[in-house]
Amino acid sequence: MLGEFEYLLLTAAARLGEGAYGAAMRQEIEEATGRDCSIGALYTTLDRLETKGFVKTWMGDPTPQRGGRPKRMVRVTAKGAQAASEFYAAVTRVSRGVSWEANRVAIRP
Amino acid sequence: MTRIYWWLVDAVSRTLEPGERDVVLGDFEESGESGGRALRGVLGLVVRRQAVLWQDWRPWLVLVGLIVPLGMMLSIVSSLTAGQSATYIWLYANNWDWALLRYAEFWYEAVDSLAFVFVRWLTLVCWSWTAGFVLGSMSRRIARSYGVVFCLMFFGGLLGAPLYLAYFLQYNIHRPISPDTHDPIFGLAFYRVMLPLIVQAVLVAVPSLLGIRQGRDAGRFTRLLRIVLWTAAIGTLILLLIQEPGFVFFLNAYWLRRTWQGWQILQYVVYWPVAYLVATAIWRRWHGRTAA
Repeated sequence: MLGEFEYLLLTAAARLGEGAYGAAMRQEIEEATGRDCSIGALYTTLDRLETKGFVKTWMGDPTPQRGGRPKRMVRVTAKGAQAASEFYAAVTRVSRGVSWEANRVAIRP
Repeated sequence: MTRIYWWLVDAVSRTLEPGERDVVLGDFEESGESGGRALRGVLGLVVRRQAVLWQDWRPWLVLVGLIVPLGMMLSIVSSLTAGQSATYIWLYANNWDWALLRYAEFWYEAVDSLAFVFVRWLTLVCWSWTAGFVLGSMSRRIARSYGVVFCLMFFGGLLGAPLYLAYFLQYNIHRPISPDTHDPIFGLAFYRVMLPLIVQAVLVAVPSLLGIRQGRDAGRFTRLLRIVLWTAAIGTLILLLIQEPGFVFFLNAYWLRRTWQGWQILQYVVYWPVAYLVATAIWRRWHGRTAA
């Protein structure tokens, strides 16, 4: 089972597709969650996901806007997509009948 | 302030692997990160990277088997060295009289004292450098963590060792009750507090960290050279053990010290870092010249 942050990373990488790399994923997560995403958490979690075989990373080409430094490109593997899908399905199942709107919890009888 | 932050970011990021450092600094540049946030980010990454390495059992073995004993021994030996040096420094610095320069006896005594202090300091530097070298050559990736823990160990070494506490109690009991002949020296805060700290910082911390740095590169050497260096390093550390009064006191190993003292020539193995550093400097110079 994935962790919450692992799921966020996989989702951000999947959304960005070919353009998924560290800085872009970080921005994507910060915009979506409204929370700070530390570079330490990002890269150590990426390493963990890569060890599990959920993503593949490689060094991209250096670009001028990065001061001639390379990007760490990310691609979600089939195994990663499967894990993210299972996590999403589990969250959806467990959330069924629960409404968090307006700070009100309505539990189905 | 921003410049200082970025200088720190650059310095801290050097502890990352070169590839990762480039990626992280590129990310900061692209996202227009502020200096403070970048510093927090890179510090967090470095701490996490080092923490991951400590999940293995080997660093813990090195901690228990090398860092703790070596840190404690260097801590105590540096305190003893500081105490011995304090007497000579006090003798000349606090009782200086220009008229002394006229006497040949003064020069004879001064050279003798200076040689004694110099040899004690050089020995401590060589022990510290060797300890660092051994730690650095254990693992290139975790060497920085070892450096931090090692420094913490010998700066706080006297506090956390129950066996050594017993030794110090014994040591203190045997010390003459006040008035001690050394009271005029150790009554001064500089000789009692500051000098031991200066000795630990300059003669132990700095050489150990330099030794760790040089030890990290030892993996590139040939097998034969590594065996030679390790033999010299182990010999030096054994000598540190034998010379260290606590070890001899606790293990009742005075015979070991007597045996070792019989082999006068081998005692010079302690100074192998001097030979090593001179040899590497010559080699670098020669290599640089031939490459150019």
